[in-house]
Amino acid sequence: MRYNYENGKLTIYLEEELDISSCKVVRGIIDGYIMKYQPYELVLDLAGVKFMDSSGIGLIIGRYNLIKLLDCKMTIVNAGDNIKRLIELSNIKLECV
Amino acid sequence: MEENYIKIEIKPIIENISPARLCITSFLGNMDIHLDELMDIKTALSEAITNAVDHAYDNPQLLDKIDIETRILRDDKVKITIKDYGKGIEDISLAMTPAYTSKPENEHAGMGFTIMESFMDEVIVDSVVNKGTTIVLTKNIRKRKTNKS
Repeated sequence: MRYNYENGKLTIYLEEELDISSCKVVRGIIDGYIMKYQPYELVLDLAGVKFMDSSGIGLIIGRYNLIKLLDCKMTIVNAGDNIKRLIELSNIKLECV
Repeated sequence: MEENYIKIEIKPIIENISPARLCITSFLGNMDIHLDELMDIKTALSEAITNAVDHAYDNPQLLDKIDIETRILRDDKVKITIKDYGKGIEDISLAMTPAYTSKPENEHAGMGFTIMESFMDEVIVDSVVNKGTTIVLTKNIRKRKTNKS
């Protein structure tokens, strides 16, 4: 998992499969970066994600609940069609690009 | 499609979810199924196995395994049966309510059954407390990866 921090914007590039196993690991790493940089905007880039289930939805909702405490906004980019369907099904009202 | 099946048995630990998912999608990938429908099945299957691994086995006395049987039926149906021998579900309709989770502290979205029901044509849940839960997922295959004339 790569990340980039620039001018208050933290971008996380998620990879491979987001299921219960990988989300447990990734969650701690992302939260570490959020606490370290306290960004104004968090971008989750899903271009590298080949598979995601409801654990990935839980990961997104959990990060959103954390960053809204920091007055930060969140954007999800490059979600594939399958992932978009999951996000829509979960009724997440985010700025989904 | 020709009738075919594969049966696997896994130890219920989260590390085994990804290999089980890959095994079954690889089996189905040999059939003439469009990638979109294969991904639907893969996602629903992942939800069902994750439920069994994550919820069924708090009690070490219970039989510690999950059986997964995947069948291709002659009338172009895929039927996957996920059977655990764990603690069972006390209230199935509550468990199937969208956004309900018995473990909110673990950041679960509570969307497992909703996803199964959206991505498959039929979801049957049969559960007996302290005996286990069986989930049967069925999908009618409509889209092909090859264009037959």
